[in-house]
Amino acid sequence: MSKGLKVFFMILLAFSLIMTGCSDSSTSGDANEGSEDSGDVSIAENGDPLGKYDPVIEATFVRSVDETLKLLEGETVKDNVWLDYYRDELGINVKYEWIAPVGDQFDQKMNVTLASGDIPEFINVTPTQLKQLVDADMVMDLSKIYEGYAAPLTKEVLTADGTGPFDAATIDGKLFGLPNIDSSIDRAHFIWVRTDWLEKLGLPEPKTMDDVLKISEAFAKQDPDSNGKNDTTGLAVTKDLWDGYAGLTGFFNGYHAYPNIWIKDDGGKLVYGSIQPEMKKALKALQDMFKDGQIDKEFGVKPGGKVAEDPASGKNGLHFGQQWTSLWPLQSNRDQDSSAQWKAFPLVSVDNQPARPQITLGTTSWWAVKKGVKHPEAIVKMFNGFVEKNWGETAEFDKYYLPEGAEGTWKMSPPTPSPPMKNLEAFLSIREAVDNGTTDQLTGEAKVVYDRVKSHEDGDQTMWGWERIYGADGVFGIMKEYKDKDLFMRNEFNGAPTATMTQKQATLEQLQNEVFTKIILGSADISTFDKFVKDWKALGGEQITKEVNGWYKSIK
Amino acid sequence: MKVSQGPLYLMVLPGVILVLIFSYGPMVGILMAFQQFIPAKGLFGDQTWVGLDNFRYVLELPNTMRVLWNTLYIATLKIIFGLIVPIIVAILINEVRHMTLKKSIQTTIYLPHFLSWVVLGGILIDILSPSQGIINMILGLVGIEPIFFLGSNTWFPVTLVGSEIWKEFGFGTIIYLAAITGINPELYEAAKMDGANRFKQTLHVTLPGLRMTIVLLGVLSLGNILNAGFDQVFNLYSTQVYESGDIIDTFVYRIGLLEAQYGVATAVGLFKSVVSCILVTVSYYLAYRFANYRIF
Repeated sequence: MSKGLKVFFMILLAFSLIMTGCSDSSTSGDANEGSEDSGDVSIAENGDPLGKYDPVIEATFVRSVDETLKLLEGETVKDNVWLDYYRDELGINVKYEWIAPVGDQFDQKMNVTLASGDIPEFINVTPTQLKQLVDADMVMDLSKIYEGYAAPLTKEVLTADGTGPFDAATIDGKLFGLPNIDSSIDRAHFIWVRTDWLEKLGLPEPKTMDDVLKISEAFAKQDPDSNGKNDTTGLAVTKDLWDGYAGLTGFFNGYHAYPNIWIKDDGGKLVYGSIQPEMKKALKALQDMFKDGQIDKEFGVKPGGKVAEDPASGKNGLHFGQQWTSLWPLQSNRDQDSSAQWKAFPLVSVDNQPARPQITLGTTSWWAVKKGVKHPEAIVKMFNGFVEKNWGETAEFDKYYLPEGAEGTWKMSPPTPSPPMKNLEAFLSIREAVDNGTTDQLTGEAKVVYDRVKSHEDGDQTMWGWERIYGADGVFGIMKEYKDKDLFMRNEFNGAPTATMTQKQATLEQLQNEVFTKIILGSADISTFDKFVKDWKALGGEQITKEVNGWYKSIK
Repeated sequence: MKVSQGPLYLMVLPGVILVLIFSYGPMVGILMAFQQFIPAKGLFGDQTWVGLDNFRYVLELPNTMRVLWNTLYIATLKIIFGLIVPIIVAILINEVRHMTLKKSIQTTIYLPHFLSWVVLGGILIDILSPSQGIINMILGLVGIEPIFFLGSNTWFPVTLVGSEIWKEFGFGTIIYLAAITGINPELYEAAKMDGANRFKQTLHVTLPGLRMTIVLLGVLSLGNILNAGFDQVFNLYSTQVYESGDIIDTFVYRIGLLEAQYGVATAVGLFKSVVSCILVTVSYYLAYRFANYRIF
């Protein structure tokens, strides 16, 4: 027996040595290659934004595909209008090193790719991954390339959401990633109310926080569904507290409290919203509502999908949420009960100051370029092409973005920077066209959306959710109001997580959500909030605040 | 009668290779536990070595002790009941003489084993609900106040253990039933001759006959002392019950994976493996000492 074991361990040892040997040689080889290349690349500082490469160059990428994708016949992920466009018009031949289904599989392959050091020439990454690549000295400074090659329209699109998207990818004053820009304002919250219940109970539309509290109480206690049972809830809340549907962000904003984001205090320093005194008052109000039976006794264990069953089955008529909740879950309510009517209202406040909806950066990924690539500016040209062909003067929206009969064709382009205000703009052009009677001249996204709104007006109840968003009194009307009055409260911190954040953020978040949940449930007194603020600072919050302010200074 | 053992070794080979590739190969990753690991640099790249910093970091987190205690508490209960319940059920089923009934019970209790916790999570939230759940309705019939199984810190561990046993006891039962079938019938006949009734037969023939199997499964399950069941807890817990339900694995998931602190996650994984290894060794020794039983 013992001899067998010895042999076994010897084999094991030999095996692991072989493994170590292999990996060692391959990584060091790569590193050498990289450093050799990076020296002799010179980049023209100015160039034609849409100029064609001749001969055609090759550019490597990796990508994810999702199941909702439906391409036109004859098209594949590796052969479609976008890749044809890039090759034929720009002279860039897109090659995928690998393709994986979106989600865990893609993330795992991505992690392996990052760990192996063998990254594609152009790579789409999160701030954390970008920081890792920069630390490993594997990606290049894109500041000059962006300045020199981005078309005016591209610049307009990329800067339309403030400086946040660029701040997030700027490390030590150098721009390492181009924002795959996406909307921030679409994350603002609204008050969604079932208006047929309001009428039934003779309640006014919400104008102040007081009205909201009254509506919640009435919806919980005055049997709005007239079934003689006490089975409705006032305010819908999920266990995760901050969801886009039935989260509490909008509620807190009504009290001028801004949980989870960094805001500027009077002295111009950044402070964490969750520990400001305004939070306390809002928490107290929620505690009272829970005690009074207006919030589901079991909300603490229910994820969004579970909470969504309440409005769908006509047991709830009030929540705070983003612009899309009429599509889900409210549409299911409408499907089952055609008399159900919902409407979004702007956030209201406790005093005479307007409530300011908080938003975080909508851009979640950035394009980085591997060090040593011959034509790093190719990615900027592709940005130009994508923006031009979808929203520019030569746009062919229904060929490149949403061809009829296909779903998600736009995703076939590796970079997909979308104008951050595009949904709002679609709404505005639809309303304008309706007012002027020129709806037949609508193009692109606006046309697609308008057709859906129209079909609801013609009686198609399954399109009700779209009408609630883009219709005459749709939610984007409020979004315009938010924007015109400049009400958005933006998260001022957009950098990669700081050192202490990486270490302590999860603990602090857990502490916060645990304390807030307990306070709402009434199992902790409201004075616990003061202890939470102290604990938060002591457990790393103080240090994080310092680092965040250090970052803030560095980008100014 | 001497047969060459060559073919036998050959048959073992695929298994050995699998273990080498999938169990021993990844062990190289243990290195990460001692590094400030940056994925982009690779495992053997230019990482910063930090000694035991990752371990120190975890120990200094404010919730570590609570999490460790929860894990031990839940896992111990699961091990104890996971051992006892299948034995009792197997013995009871063995006494059932009606073959069809016996088989159908066996199949029915085995079925939940095939459901995943994601599915069961949704179902349990419904059936354990204090206001509409069927369990609380039944409790209400006998005059018991509704219990918030998933939201109360007193009941949450109980719910975890209960639902885990319910899901898995059918599987354990099958092993014990198989062991019972292996007991020599002559022993029962001899016991009958000596005037033993069914209860005495169980006590003096069946249980001693099962001793080896019980010791084996007991020893193996001790290795799980720090595995309180990630799938299950992750799908059932909420902020409300972190106090009693947050376990090492969910904790590491949040601080290690969500925050991309792979070094920390590996450190905790290594810690778990070392503890399990020690426990398995100790219990192996104890089993040898007191039950005179050797697995190897």
